[in-house]
Amino acid sequence: MTVKRVTFLQELLSFMGLGGRLHLEWISSAEAQKFVQVITDFTEKIRSLGPNPLIGASGARLLDAPYLKTVKPHNTLLKPPDSAGIAEEATHEIKSETVA
Amino acid sequence: MKSKVKRWLEEGIVDLFLGYKMVMGHPLPYSFNKANLDAVDELIDGPARYSLEKVATHIAAVDPDIKIGMLARDCNQRALNVLYIWNQLKEDNIKAVNVNCCPSNLKAHGDCSYLAPEKPAPLKQQVGVDNTLCPEDFEEMEQPECLSRWMNEFQKCIKCYGCRNICPVCFCKECSLEHGDLIGKGALPPEVPIFHLVRATHMAGRCIDCGLCEDACPVDIPLRLLYRKVNDIVKTVFDYETGSGADQSPLSILGDKVTLEPQPMQTNPPAV
Repeated sequence: MTVKRVTFLQELLSFMGLGGRLHLEWISSAEAQKFVQVITDFTEKIRSLGPNPLIGASGARLLDAPYLKTVKPHNTLLKPPDSAGIAEEATHEIKSETVA
Repeated sequence: MKSKVKRWLEEGIVDLFLGYKMVMGHPLPYSFNKANLDAVDELIDGPARYSLEKVATHIAAVDPDIKIGMLARDCNQRALNVLYIWNQLKEDNIKAVNVNCCPSNLKAHGDCSYLAPEKPAPLKQQVGVDNTLCPEDFEEMEQPECLSRWMNEFQKCIKCYGCRNICPVCFCKECSLEHGDLIGKGALPPEVPIFHLVRATHMAGRCIDCGLCEDACPVDIPLRLLYRKVNDIVKTVFDYETGSGADQSPLSILGDKVTLEPQPMQTNPPAV
Protein backbone atom coordinates (compact mmCIF):
# COMPACT_ATOMS: atom_id res chain seq x y z
CA MET A 1 0.00 0.00 0.00
CA THR A 2 2.80 2.41 0.87
CA VAL A 3 4.57 1.86 -2.42
CA LYS A 4 1.32 2.45 -4.28
CA ARG A 5 0.56 5.66 -2.43
CA VAL A 6 4.08 7.03 -2.74
CA THR A 7 4.27 6.22 -6.46
CA PHE A 8 0.98 8.01 -6.94
CA LEU A 9 2.09 11.01 -4.91
CA GLN A 10 5.40 11.28 -6.77
CA GLU A 11 3.52 11.54 -10.05
CA LEU A 12 1.05 14.05 -8.67
CA LEU A 13 3.78 16.23 -7.17
CA SER A 14 5.75 16.33 -10.39
CA PHE A 15 2.56 17.36 -12.19
CA MET A 16 2.21 20.20 -9.68
CA GLY A 17 5.82 21.27 -10.14
CA LEU A 18 7.35 19.71 -7.04
CA GLY A 19 8.82 16.66 -8.72
CA GLY A 20 11.77 14.70 -7.37
CA ARG A 21 11.33 15.75 -3.77
CA LEU A 22 9.82 12.51 -2.53
CA HIS A 23 11.73 9.25 -2.23
CA LEU A 24 10.83 5.89 -0.78
CA GLU A 25 13.27 3.16 0.12
CA TRP A 26 13.15 0.08 2.31
CA ILE A 27 16.26 -0.22 4.43
CA SER A 28 16.77 -2.82 7.11
CA SER A 29 18.55 -2.03 10.34
CA ALA A 30 21.34 -4.30 9.11
CA GLU A 31 21.93 -2.31 5.93
CA ALA A 32 23.93 0.62 7.27
CA GLN A 33 25.85 1.18 4.07
CA LYS A 34 22.70 1.27 1.99
CA PHE A 35 21.21 3.75 4.43
CA VAL A 36 24.23 6.05 4.12
CA GLN A 37 24.19 5.76 0.35
CA VAL A 38 20.50 6.50 -0.02
CA ILE A 39 20.60 9.46 2.36
CA THR A 40 23.70 10.92 0.70
CA ASP A 41 22.29 10.58 -2.79
CA PHE A 42 18.96 12.03 -1.87
CA THR A 43 20.53 14.92 0.05
CA GLU A 44 22.59 15.80 -3.01
CA LYS A 45 19.54 15.60 -5.22
CA ILE A 46 17.49 17.81 -2.92
CA ARG A 47 20.34 20.31 -2.63
CA SER A 48 20.58 20.58 -6.40
CA LEU A 49 16.83 21.20 -6.57
CA GLY A 50 17.17 24.15 -4.20
CA PRO A 51 15.16 25.17 -1.15
CA ASN A 52 11.49 24.29 -0.81
CA PRO A 53 9.59 26.82 -2.91
CA LEU A 54 6.58 26.52 -0.62
CA ILE A 55 8.27 28.00 2.44
CA GLY A 56 6.14 30.85 3.67
CA ALA A 57 3.25 29.68 1.56
CA SER A 58 0.83 29.15 4.40
CA GLY A 59 -2.24 31.31 4.37
CA ALA A 60 -1.76 34.94 5.19
CA ARG A 61 1.88 35.29 4.21
CA LEU A 62 1.11 33.90 0.81
CA LEU A 63 2.14 36.89 -1.25
CA ASP A 64 5.67 36.82 0.16
CA ALA A 65 6.11 33.27 -1.03
CA PRO A 66 9.03 32.77 -3.40
CA TYR A 67 7.03 30.85 -5.99
CA LEU A 68 4.99 33.94 -6.77
CA LYS A 69 8.10 35.92 -7.64
CA THR A 70 8.27 34.18 -10.97
CA VAL A 71 5.03 35.76 -12.09
CA LYS A 72 3.36 38.99 -11.18
CA PRO A 73 0.70 38.65 -8.47
CA HIS A 74 -2.48 38.87 -10.48
CA ASN A 75 -5.00 39.82 -7.87
CA THR A 76 -4.29 42.63 -5.47
CA LEU A 77 -7.66 42.00 -3.79
CA LEU A 78 -6.15 38.90 -2.23
CA LYS A 79 -3.87 40.90 0.06
CA PRO A 80 -3.32 39.36 3.46
CA PRO A 81 -5.76 40.82 5.97
CA ASP A 82 -3.11 42.36 8.23
CA SER A 83 -2.77 45.96 9.30
CA ALA A 84 -0.22 46.82 6.63
CA GLY A 85 -1.60 49.61 4.51
CA ILE A 86 -0.91 51.08 1.15
CA ALA A 87 2.82 51.39 1.78
CA GLU A 88 3.30 47.63 1.86
CA GLU A 89 1.09 47.18 -1.13
CA ALA A 90 3.36 49.55 -3.00
CA THR A 91 6.48 47.60 -2.04
CA HIS A 92 4.81 44.44 -3.27
CA GLU A 93 4.19 46.03 -6.60
CA ILE A 94 7.72 47.36 -6.87
CA LYS A 95 9.12 43.97 -5.91
CA SER A 96 7.06 42.16 -8.46
CA GLU A 97 7.90 44.64 -11.17
CA THR A 98 11.62 44.31 -10.62
CA VAL A 99 11.27 40.56 -10.80
CA ALA A 100 9.04 40.62 -13.83
CA MET B 1 -40.17 7.88 -18.68
CA LYS B 2 -42.82 9.37 -16.40
CA SER B 3 -45.18 6.40 -16.80
CA LYS B 4 -42.29 4.03 -16.08
CA VAL B 5 -41.42 5.91 -12.92
CA LYS B 6 -45.08 5.91 -11.86
CA ARG B 7 -45.32 2.18 -12.45
CA TRP B 8 -42.15 1.56 -10.45
CA LEU B 9 -43.48 3.56 -7.54
CA GLU B 10 -46.94 1.98 -7.68
CA GLU B 11 -45.64 -1.57 -7.87
CA GLY B 12 -43.15 -0.93 -5.10
CA ILE B 13 -40.15 -1.70 -7.28
CA VAL B 14 -38.69 1.46 -5.81
CA ASP B 15 -39.67 3.31 -2.63
CA LEU B 16 -38.23 6.62 -3.77
CA PHE B 17 -37.33 8.09 -7.09
CA LEU B 18 -34.69 10.78 -7.34
CA GLY B 19 -35.03 13.14 -10.26
CA TYR B 20 -35.39 16.81 -11.05
CA LYS B 21 -38.39 19.06 -10.73
CA MET B 22 -38.78 22.63 -11.89
CA VAL B 23 -39.08 24.88 -8.83
CA MET B 24 -39.39 28.63 -9.41
CA GLY B 25 -37.80 28.23 -12.82
CA HIS B 26 -34.88 26.17 -11.56
CA PRO B 27 -34.48 22.44 -12.09
CA LEU B 28 -33.85 21.13 -8.57
CA PRO B 29 -33.26 17.60 -7.28
CA TYR B 30 -36.48 16.12 -5.99
CA SER B 31 -37.46 12.88 -4.34
CA PHE B 32 -40.68 11.44 -5.78
CA ASN B 33 -42.64 8.89 -3.76
CA LYS B 34 -45.75 6.77 -3.86
CA ALA B 35 -47.77 9.07 -1.59
CA ASN B 36 -47.64 11.85 -4.16
CA LEU B 37 -47.79 10.19 -7.56
CA ASP B 38 -49.12 13.29 -9.31
CA ALA B 39 -45.81 15.03 -8.68
CA VAL B 40 -44.19 12.58 -11.11
CA ASP B 41 -45.79 14.54 -13.95
CA GLU B 42 -43.40 17.32 -13.12
CA LEU B 43 -40.35 15.09 -13.43
CA ILE B 44 -37.91 16.54 -15.94
CA ASP B 45 -34.55 15.68 -17.39
CA GLY B 46 -32.24 17.89 -19.38
CA PRO B 47 -28.93 19.63 -18.91
CA ALA B 48 -29.41 20.02 -15.14
CA ARG B 49 -27.25 17.71 -13.12
CA TYR B 50 -26.56 17.09 -9.49
CA SER B 51 -25.01 14.22 -7.64
CA LEU B 52 -28.26 12.32 -7.08
CA GLU B 53 -26.26 9.26 -6.04
CA LYS B 54 -24.91 11.32 -3.17
CA VAL B 55 -28.45 11.95 -2.00
CA ALA B 56 -29.07 8.22 -2.38
CA THR B 57 -25.97 7.50 -0.28
CA HIS B 58 -27.24 9.74 2.51
CA ILE B 59 -30.68 8.11 2.41
CA ALA B 60 -29.19 4.61 2.37
CA ALA B 61 -27.01 5.49 5.35
CA VAL B 62 -30.19 6.05 7.39
CA ASP B 63 -32.28 3.27 5.87
CA PRO B 64 -30.03 0.61 4.32
CA ASP B 65 -32.86 -1.47 2.87
CA ILE B 66 -34.73 1.28 1.07
CA LYS B 67 -35.06 0.83 -2.69
CA ILE B 68 -34.10 3.91 -4.64
CA GLY B 69 -34.66 4.74 -8.28
CA MET B 70 -32.89 7.62 -9.92
CA LEU B 71 -32.12 9.34 -13.17
CA ALA B 72 -28.61 8.44 -14.26
CA ARG B 73 -26.33 9.99 -16.80
CA ASP B 74 -23.09 8.28 -17.73
CA CYS B 75 -21.27 10.10 -14.94
CA ASN B 76 -23.96 9.11 -12.41
CA GLN B 77 -23.60 5.53 -13.55
CA ARG B 78 -19.83 5.60 -13.04
CA ALA B 79 -20.33 7.16 -9.61
CA LEU B 80 -22.81 4.40 -8.73
CA ASN B 81 -20.23 1.78 -9.74
CA VAL B 82 -17.68 3.41 -7.46
CA LEU B 83 -20.18 3.62 -4.59
CA TYR B 84 -21.04 -0.09 -4.97
CA ILE B 85 -17.35 -0.94 -4.84
CA TRP B 86 -16.82 1.12 -1.72
CA ASN B 87 -19.91 -0.45 -0.07
CA GLN B 88 -21.84 2.78 0.19
CA LEU B 89 -24.81 1.54 -1.81
CA LYS B 90 -26.18 -1.91 -2.55
CA GLU B 91 -26.45 -2.63 -6.22
CA ASP B 92 -29.71 -4.56 -5.71
CA ASN B 93 -31.38 -1.57 -4.09
CA ILE B 94 -30.68 0.93 -6.85
CA LYS B 95 -32.57 1.14 -10.11
CA ALA B 96 -31.39 3.69 -12.61
CA VAL B 97 -33.17 5.25 -15.56
CA ASN B 98 -30.55 6.17 -18.10
CA VAL B 99 -30.95 9.61 -19.61
CA ASN B 100 -29.19 11.43 -22.39
CA CYS B 101 -25.76 12.67 -21.47
CA CYS B 102 -22.47 13.67 -23.05
CA PRO B 103 -22.35 13.77 -26.86
CA SER B 104 -20.44 10.98 -28.56
CA ASN B 105 -19.85 9.59 -32.04
CA LEU B 106 -23.16 7.79 -31.89
CA LYS B 107 -25.25 10.70 -30.67
CA ALA B 108 -24.31 14.25 -31.52
CA HIS B 109 -26.72 15.90 -29.12
CA GLY B 110 -25.70 16.00 -25.47
CA ASP B 111 -27.51 17.19 -22.36
CA CYS B 112 -25.00 18.40 -19.83
CA SER B 113 -24.23 21.61 -18.02
CA TYR B 114 -20.51 21.02 -18.61
CA LEU B 115 -20.36 20.76 -22.37
CA ALA B 116 -18.12 23.63 -23.36
CA PRO B 117 -15.77 25.03 -20.72
CA GLU B 118 -15.24 28.69 -21.39
CA LYS B 119 -11.90 30.00 -22.54
CA PRO B 120 -10.63 31.92 -19.51
CA ALA B 121 -9.63 35.57 -19.46
CA PRO B 122 -6.15 36.56 -20.70
CA LEU B 123 -4.73 37.10 -17.22
CA LYS B 124 -5.68 33.60 -16.14
CA GLN B 125 -4.12 32.20 -19.28
CA GLN B 126 -0.98 34.17 -18.53
CA VAL B 127 -0.34 33.33 -14.88
CA GLY B 128 -2.91 30.70 -13.93
CA VAL B 129 -4.08 27.39 -15.29
CA ASP B 130 -6.37 27.35 -18.29
CA ASN B 131 -9.40 25.16 -17.52
CA THR B 132 -9.47 23.88 -21.08
CA LEU B 133 -5.97 22.37 -20.97
CA CYS B 134 -5.23 18.66 -20.91
CA PRO B 135 -2.94 17.01 -18.36
CA GLU B 136 -0.44 16.34 -21.17
CA ASP B 137 0.03 20.05 -21.77
CA PHE B 138 1.96 20.29 -18.53
CA GLU B 139 4.67 17.91 -19.64
CA GLU B 140 6.34 20.60 -21.73
CA MET B 141 6.25 23.08 -18.87
CA GLU B 142 9.17 23.68 -16.53
CA GLN B 143 8.59 22.58 -12.93
CA PRO B 144 8.74 26.09 -11.38
CA GLU B 145 6.25 27.33 -13.95
CA CYS B 146 3.83 24.48 -13.17
CA LEU B 147 4.08 25.21 -9.48
CA SER B 148 3.63 28.92 -9.91
CA ARG B 149 0.60 28.48 -12.17
CA TRP B 150 -1.08 25.96 -9.88
CA MET B 151 -0.35 28.00 -6.78
CA ASN B 152 -1.90 31.04 -8.43
CA GLU B 153 -5.04 28.98 -8.87
CA PHE B 154 -5.00 27.38 -5.42
CA GLN B 155 -4.42 30.63 -3.56
CA LYS B 156 -7.83 31.84 -4.73
CA CYS B 157 -9.46 29.10 -2.66
CA ILE B 158 -11.97 30.37 -0.11
CA LYS B 159 -12.27 26.98 1.60
CA CYS B 160 -15.97 26.73 0.95
CA TYR B 161 -15.78 22.92 0.70
CA GLY B 162 -18.01 23.15 -2.36
CA CYS B 163 -15.88 20.67 -4.29
CA ARG B 164 -16.13 18.11 -1.51
CA ASN B 165 -19.80 18.68 -0.77
CA ILE B 166 -20.93 18.24 -4.36
CA CYS B 167 -18.63 15.29 -5.03
CA PRO B 168 -20.70 12.13 -5.63
CA VAL B 169 -17.92 9.85 -4.40
CA CYS B 170 -16.98 11.76 -1.22
CA PHE B 171 -18.69 9.83 1.55
CA CYS B 172 -16.32 9.71 4.55
CA LYS B 173 -17.88 10.53 7.90
CA GLU B 174 -14.75 12.28 9.05
CA CYS B 175 -13.03 14.39 6.45
CA SER B 176 -9.29 15.03 6.54
CA LEU B 177 -9.94 18.49 5.16
CA GLU B 178 -11.69 19.43 8.38
CA HIS B 179 -8.95 18.09 10.62
CA GLY B 180 -7.10 20.93 12.30
CA ASP B 181 -3.85 19.01 12.62
CA LEU B 182 -3.75 18.13 8.93
CA ILE B 183 -5.02 21.36 7.44
CA GLY B 184 -4.37 24.46 9.53
CA LYS B 185 -7.46 26.40 10.53
CA GLY B 186 -8.29 30.07 10.67
CA ALA B 187 -6.54 31.46 7.60
CA LEU B 188 -7.65 32.21 4.09
CA PRO B 189 -6.63 30.93 1.66
CA PRO B 190 -6.32 27.59 3.46
CA GLU B 191 -3.00 25.82 3.58
CA VAL B 192 -2.23 25.56 -0.10
CA PRO B 193 -1.39 23.38 -1.89
CA ILE B 194 -1.94 20.84 0.90
CA PHE B 195 -5.69 21.37 0.95
CA HIS B 196 -6.08 20.59 -2.73
CA LEU B 197 -3.46 17.87 -2.86
CA VAL B 198 -5.05 16.01 0.05
CA ARG B 199 -8.32 16.04 -1.81
CA ALA B 200 -6.64 15.05 -5.05
CA THR B 201 -4.93 12.14 -3.32
CA HIS B 202 -8.20 10.95 -1.85
CA MET B 203 -9.75 11.08 -5.31
CA ALA B 204 -7.34 8.44 -6.59
CA GLY B 205 -9.37 5.42 -7.61
CA ARG B 206 -12.60 7.26 -6.87
CA CYS B 207 -12.91 10.31 -9.12
CA ILE B 208 -15.23 9.56 -12.03
CA ASP B 209 -14.52 12.80 -13.90
CA CYS B 210 -18.00 14.29 -13.72
CA GLY B 211 -16.69 17.83 -13.38
CA LEU B 212 -19.22 18.84 -10.72
CA CYS B 213 -16.41 20.09 -8.46
CA GLU B 214 -15.29 22.56 -11.07
CA ASP B 215 -18.88 23.60 -11.74
CA ALA B 216 -19.33 24.19 -8.02
CA CYS B 217 -16.07 26.07 -7.45
CA PRO B 218 -16.89 29.75 -6.90
CA VAL B 219 -13.36 30.87 -7.77
CA ASP B 220 -12.98 28.69 -10.86
CA ILE B 221 -10.03 26.53 -9.86
CA PRO B 222 -9.47 23.97 -12.65
CA LEU B 223 -10.21 21.02 -10.38
CA ARG B 224 -11.41 18.76 -13.15
CA LEU B 225 -8.04 19.09 -14.83
CA LEU B 226 -6.25 18.22 -11.58
CA TYR B 227 -8.40 15.15 -10.98
CA ARG B 228 -8.09 14.09 -14.59
CA LYS B 229 -4.36 13.92 -13.96
CA VAL B 230 -5.13 11.86 -10.87
CA ASN B 231 -7.14 9.48 -13.03
CA ASP B 232 -4.37 9.36 -15.62
CA ILE B 233 -1.89 8.32 -12.94
CA VAL B 234 -4.25 5.66 -11.61
CA LYS B 235 -4.69 4.39 -15.18
CA THR B 236 -1.01 4.33 -16.13
CA VAL B 237 0.45 3.17 -12.83
CA PHE B 238 -2.23 0.75 -11.64
CA ASP B 239 -4.10 0.05 -14.90
CA TYR B 240 -7.37 0.82 -13.17
CA GLU B 241 -10.20 2.57 -14.94
CA THR B 242 -12.23 4.27 -12.24
CA GLY B 243 -15.98 3.72 -12.38
CA SER B 244 -15.94 1.37 -15.34
CA GLY B 245 -16.46 -1.93 -13.57
CA ALA B 246 -16.79 -3.79 -10.33
CA ASP B 247 -13.07 -4.19 -9.62
CA GLN B 248 -11.78 -3.05 -6.25
CA SER B 249 -9.75 0.16 -6.35
CA PRO B 250 -5.97 -0.36 -6.19
CA LEU B 251 -5.84 2.02 -3.24
CA SER B 252 -8.52 0.29 -1.20
CA ILE B 253 -7.19 -1.32 1.94
CA LEU B 254 -10.02 -3.82 2.01
CA GLY B 255 -8.90 -7.21 0.79
CA ASP B 256 -5.46 -5.87 -0.02
CA LYS B 257 -3.24 -8.52 -1.49
CA VAL B 258 0.54 -8.49 -1.44
CA THR B 259 1.51 -7.61 -4.96
CA LEU B 260 5.27 -7.38 -4.52
CA GLU B 261 7.09 -10.67 -4.88
CA PRO B 262 9.64 -11.31 -2.14
CA GLN B 263 13.12 -10.86 -3.56
CA PRO B 264 16.57 -11.81 -2.31
CA MET B 265 18.61 -9.02 -0.82
CA GLN B 266 21.14 -7.34 -3.10
CA THR B 267 24.45 -9.12 -2.71
CA ASN B 268 26.77 -6.72 -4.51
CA PRO B 269 28.14 -4.09 -2.10
CA PRO B 270 27.12 -0.51 -2.84
CA ALA B 271 29.70 1.64 -4.59
CA VAL B 272 31.81 3.66 -2.17
